[in-house]
Amino acid sequence: MSTNYANAVELKNVTKRYNELVAVNNLNLTLSQGEIFGLLGPNGSGKSTTLKMLLGLVQPEEGSVHVLGIDAKKDPVAIKKLVGYAPEAPHLYEFLTGIEFLDFIGDIYGMHTEEKRSRINEYLKALQLEGREGDMISSYSEGMKQKVALISAFLHKPKLLILDEPLNALDPRTARIVKDFLQELKQQGVTTIMSTHILEIAQAVCDRIGIMYQGKLLALGNMEELRRMASMPSSGLEDIFLKLTGTGDIKAVVEELVK
Amino acid sequence: MNWKTIRDLIGVEMKAGRMLRGKRLIKYNTGRNRFFTYLEYGVAVAIGLAVGVLIGYFYNSAFPADIQSQFITVFANFQVSLPTLILVVTLVFTMMQQFQRSGTSFKNQAPYWLPVTWQEHTTASIFSDVLGIPLIAIAAIAPAIIAIAAFTGQLPLAIGASVAMCAAAFTAGATTEVFRILQVRFTGAVYKSSGKAAIWVRFASTLVFFVLFYIVYSYVIYGTGISNALQAVASVQSAAWFVPFVWVGVTLSYFASGMFIYGAVFLILSLLFILGLFYLCVSLNTRFGLYEPPAITVSSGVYAPKTGVLGKLGFAPVESALLRKDLKAFTRRRELISAFILPIVVIIIPIFSSFNTSTSSSSSAFPTQFGFAFTSLFPAAVMAMMLGNFMTGEEGQSIWRIYFSPISAKNYVKSKYAFMLFFAIIILPITSIVGFFIYHPALGTMFTLIAESVFVVFAVGALSLANGIKGADFNEVPRPRMIRAEWSIINLLTCGAAGLAVLAPLIPNVITDVTGIQFTFLALYQAVIISGVIAAVLTVIFYQVALSNAKELLTKAQV
Repeated sequence: MSTNYANAVELKNVTKRYNELVAVNNLNLTLSQGEIFGLLGPNGSGKSTTLKMLLGLVQPEEGSVHVLGIDAKKDPVAIKKLVGYAPEAPHLYEFLTGIEFLDFIGDIYGMHTEEKRSRINEYLKALQLEGREGDMISSYSEGMKQKVALISAFLHKPKLLILDEPLNALDPRTARIVKDFLQELKQQGVTTIMSTHILEIAQAVCDRIGIMYQGKLLALGNMEELRRMASMPSSGLEDIFLKLTGTGDIKAVVEELVK
Repeated sequence: MNWKTIRDLIGVEMKAGRMLRGKRLIKYNTGRNRFFTYLEYGVAVAIGLAVGVLIGYFYNSAFPADIQSQFITVFANFQVSLPTLILVVTLVFTMMQQFQRSGTSFKNQAPYWLPVTWQEHTTASIFSDVLGIPLIAIAAIAPAIIAIAAFTGQLPLAIGASVAMCAAAFTAGATTEVFRILQVRFTGAVYKSSGKAAIWVRFASTLVFFVLFYIVYSYVIYGTGISNALQAVASVQSAAWFVPFVWVGVTLSYFASGMFIYGAVFLILSLLFILGLFYLCVSLNTRFGLYEPPAITVSSGVYAPKTGVLGKLGFAPVESALLRKDLKAFTRRRELISAFILPIVVIIIPIFSSFNTSTSSSSSAFPTQFGFAFTSLFPAAVMAMMLGNFMTGEEGQSIWRIYFSPISAKNYVKSKYAFMLFFAIIILPITSIVGFFIYHPALGTMFTLIAESVFVVFAVGALSLANGIKGADFNEVPRPRMIRAEWSIINLLTCGAAGLAVLAPLIPNVITDVTGIQFTFLALYQAVIISGVIAAVLTVIFYQVALSNAKELLTKAQV
């Protein structure tokens, strides 16, 4: 397993097809260590496929994917050991209690018992799950399930975080904790890739933002660079996104609905 | 109570059955004709009426006088037994329906935001429980007995029996409703969540169902005929007069025998009991109907690190974690518990059979050997086949956890295979002890069959695991299926073939035992050794296939 790497993520000329559909089309993307990157795009734009390729879950037809210096095609298990992933749907084992699930996750990542114990307790306390950790996950609210999914992504101190809609269903306090925590992790050199539809969050948290549309990376850069690309010098991310993705016909749609 | 609201609520409950059947609507259809909705009940009435008229016609034209008087007695007993029979049938079907619903993500929350009273909601819920087989049975039987009674001159009894059947079905529906609400309240088990208590309640009730079924089956098959069985039901009903559930039948019985005062007393008692049961349902629904999913605490919340026994046995932390997770899954998830029930049912069958055959012991060794083989070998082999079948599909949508966790194909197959072997092998001594006490086999026979069971478990387990990984079905809607239908069949056939292949060297010895003709060309110990070698070879091959299938599975996330 390689531990010396210049970039946390490197996708070169990556193309992935599902039969006739080109999900990702000749994607080039490089993320440096400690960067928080926002991956945006309308539904079906290829974001999820890209994230799956980073984990080695989906193999591209063309191009290469290197994560933390490891070829995703050759050693996906090594990548998974270093990555923390929180999917959009938490996919928790509902027949386990919260603490049993986190214990399971700790074991899967080969954590030492003492470290596992202290980190689980810290996270449970920080995300206000204390007192409910012995309850079945099936009895948790959506927000509590999301907290458990996030803890399971953070627990083993990953080098790269891949978070799909990480703040879904979270209360404002926890959302703030997670955002601040990501900034702290950035200082420690942890790279974060975040996919979200809540553009305010992307604008507030991410160093750089990539906008995908129909499998292509339409725009890539920080807010200033995106404004320049869209020729919208004082606009927010929402307007830039709608302009770049050509989905800005909102007014007409609303007028049609009002009729 | 607004009966239109009740009818509409019943319509919703009827549509909920789609979840169980996996029926998907292609288009938005609101204009379904009510005629077709209730067609099955209409057909049942027509069939019942036709059969009744036919029997009545034969009674009048073809039965001699002595048969006619015998028929009238049996028919009266039948009618008196009907309420209790319908009660049992309805209870079984409504309870089973609840179990079925519990296996889906189906939620039956009362529509509290609508102008519906708890009485209406409860009534609709009870009626909808009775829909289906119980109501079809009543719809067929009631016109049939009324038609026959018109010929035999027992019309008042037949009308009474028809009304009593409806009352019995309502009682059963209300009882199920009480159980359902209490189960939801105290265990949270009916829906997605589960708890240990719920699992064991379900486990016990399923066993009781199978035992009852087998007692009835044995009585009908080995007993003294259907007329005596009906007479027995009627007698039991009268003897158990203090049990409120048989009061409807007792009422009918007293009226049939002309004891009108007793009949009237039990009629009042029956009405009071049904009303009481209904109001119990309503008050339970009022109290617990809008439940918050109960927090089912199975651990204190205090962190308890694992001591690593599995680690000492040579399992990697990843494999140990998977094993522990699966152990919890198979003890907490109701849809997986069938893997443990079936082998127990397999044990129960010969126990009951032995009661019937205990008086006519056979001198032949073959039934003993076969019975012992069935009791000891079959459950372990079936368990290996079922667990291998389920163990990948049971992950459901959470298979994503496996996909994006650092779990290799080797870790995955090793932990699943070990889990399956552990449970299949652990049941072997239990079934062997039961088999030994029932069949008293020779020690040589016993040890041979136990060794063969172990061989079969290893080979069949590896094969079923390979099949289970290949054919896994992770869809949880409409209900967890674990494995695709075609792979389930393939698994059954290939596991049967693999089991036969392992046992093949012993076939000549079995033929010799059965026919008495010397057919063997190998000593028993030689046959067992060859069988072991075959099992080892098959195990290695199938394990490699399972590994290859697991590698494919772990890179299949794109599906």
